[in-house]
Amino acid sequence: MREFEINLEQLSPEVTLIHVAGWLDAHTFEYMEQTVNNLFTEGKVRIAIDLSQVEYISSAGAGVFIGSLATAHERGGNIVLMNPTEPVKEVFDMLGLSQVFTFAQTKPAALTALKAAK
Amino acid sequence: MSQAHVSDRIEVDAKTANLAKVREFLHGAIKRSSLPAGDINKVVLAVDEAVANIIQHGYVGRDDGKVEVQIEADGSRFTIRILDSGISYDTAKGANANADLDLKSHISAGSKRGLGLFIMRKVMDEVQYSSREGQQNVLTLVKYIKAPA
Repeated sequence: MREFEINLEQLSPEVTLIHVAGWLDAHTFEYMEQTVNNLFTEGKVRIAIDLSQVEYISSAGAGVFIGSLATAHERGGNIVLMNPTEPVKEVFDMLGLSQVFTFAQTKPAALTALKAAK
Repeated sequence: MSQAHVSDRIEVDAKTANLAKVREFLHGAIKRSSLPAGDINKVVLAVDEAVANIIQHGYVGRDDGKVEVQIEADGSRFTIRILDSGISYDTAKGANANADLDLKSHISAGSKRGLGLFIMRKVMDEVQYSSREGQQNVLTLVKYIKAPA
């Protein structure tokens, strides 16, 4: 089982897709946080995150998304989450995050949602 | 196996790299218990949050800490006791305090603090914490095992 893996894909000049796989817990969340912060530093604030390969998430992982969303909004961008697995959805529902984030199932849908960012 | 009694324990070094080991141990113990499948992820998550808190806050600045997780389960209760010798919770803000969180304003402010405790209290039926001078801190989490309808 993969512990944790991140890959980046440029969907358009403005939109970056982060593929995440494995466990997003108190051990791995800093890699995720660093990845997003690096994008922010580069001025990339329209970000899609593919969660279809995330097998487990704890509050440390969810916390990265909460912090990132606030920063993205401040800078006129947004975060769109793609295809969360059941265990991830369960935690998002528990924390009320499912109502806060925009979700997309496909890359074109994510691009459309992120084009609408301020 | 519906009244399965389970008694088990694991001790790990207080490092976040060991969280996966604790989760794996829990999955194994839960499989041998009568806990319904729908509660498995929730209980594993609550314990993961508790152990992560101890590692990140209780043992902050230390790399010699240990965390012990004890399981006792019968047909009606799945009980997890988590023992550590780190800094105890400030009980005014800690496990015994009212952990109702205004999640909406919390989230809109981008704040991540207190989510672990919120999850523990949301998921478990009992959350008790005891810390006495010269003794280990003990966090007890209980999930009631309800008979299938």
